[in-house]
Amino acid sequence: MATTTAAVTLTSDLLSDNMSVSASTTCMKAGTTADGLDGMEYGYLDLVTGDEYDLIGATPTASKASKLYLKNHSTDETYFIAITQNSQAIGKLYGGDWMFIPADFHDAAGDIAITANGGTNKICYALFHEGTTLVAS
Amino acid sequence: MATTTATITINSTDLLTDELSLTSTATLTTAGTSTGVTQTSGLARKTTSAAAAAAIQANVLYRAGDYTTDKANKVYIKNTSTTAAEFFTVHIDQEEIGRLYAGDWMFMPWNATSGTKRVGTVTIAATWAAGDTWEFDGITMTAANSTVADIAAQIDALNYPNWITTYVATEATIIFTERYASSASYAALVTADGTLNTNGNGTADVSSAAVGSKSESDITIRPSVHTAMTYETLLIHE
Repeated sequence: MATTTAAVTLTSDLLSDNMSVSASTTCMKAGTTADGLDGMEYGYLDLVTGDEYDLIGATPTASKASKLYLKNHSTDETYFIAITQNSQAIGKLYGGDWMFIPADFHDAAGDIAITANGGTNKICYALFHEGTTLVAS
Repeated sequence: MATTTATITINSTDLLTDELSLTSTATLTTAGTSTGVTQTSGLARKTTSAAAAAAIQANVLYRAGDYTTDKANKVYIKNTSTTAAEFFTVHIDQEEIGRLYAGDWMFMPWNATSGTKRVGTVTIAATWAAGDTWEFDGITMTAANSTVADIAAQIDALNYPNWITTYVATEATIIFTERYASSASYAALVTADGTLNTNGNGTADVSSAAVGSKSESDITIRPSVHTAMTYETLLIHE
């Protein structure tokens, strides 16, 4: 099986004592301990302002343990991409921000959509999944 | 200025034919600036359980109404379970984001798009007497004297579980604002929402200023089993 680990470290001095939170997970298929996620999509692209785009073109298997990494590589801190799922606003990734979420694509409307603001944003994404269905041409 | 960083490392030696190694660090700043974020909920840990599977309820992690909308907030959630099949389903409002299986964590931006809160004005008028009462939101005010402005001040001084009050000294009106925008906020606040008990002809009429609308991005998580499951969470916000 493929073994993919994702680790995070959050550090801050905004409290009166230093804060440090770390976590690491091995990305497994849903509900298993012996079978890792074995599919991956990866992209690096320019996202122009204006229209909203679906980030994932194909349909990964629904209600599984897919993980989505998305980073805004813009260096202008006023640039951001707005992220929605099924028209539900999730949040904004400003220049330099990243996110890592479970994405279970529960139905066809569950795609994650992004919109660039401020100017052309450079984004990088990686989707780790356990199966996908290509959209018919 | 506070400095808060979030670093992710994704590694795999065998997912692809070549080794995958990705590391990214973000310095968390306020929206559209290079100024560091300054507020956090702190790291929290909670164990969920229910009497039976049918009694499983979603837990509200963060209410959008508590935070400023459209800022560069970030949310961290981890499922500390070690049982592979156990997962938390994460929702923003009614939208299912995904499932956090045992050991999984997530880190995402959060819009905190709140609804609008109900607002109503209570006007104390006519003839009141000491000992008269007015009950609202489970809290009872007992008039200390017959002066309407004093009664209004008494009402303002009480603590209501679901409402906050605004009062200007010497006036006979109190503005009530709901603490949270919620699905219960569709009905306007009316006089009948209070219970008046007066020996005279005192009144506590309510006029509604805003009906309110539902919150649009509260974050909730629902455990997959009714037996104990534990999550950790942290919110960094403006």
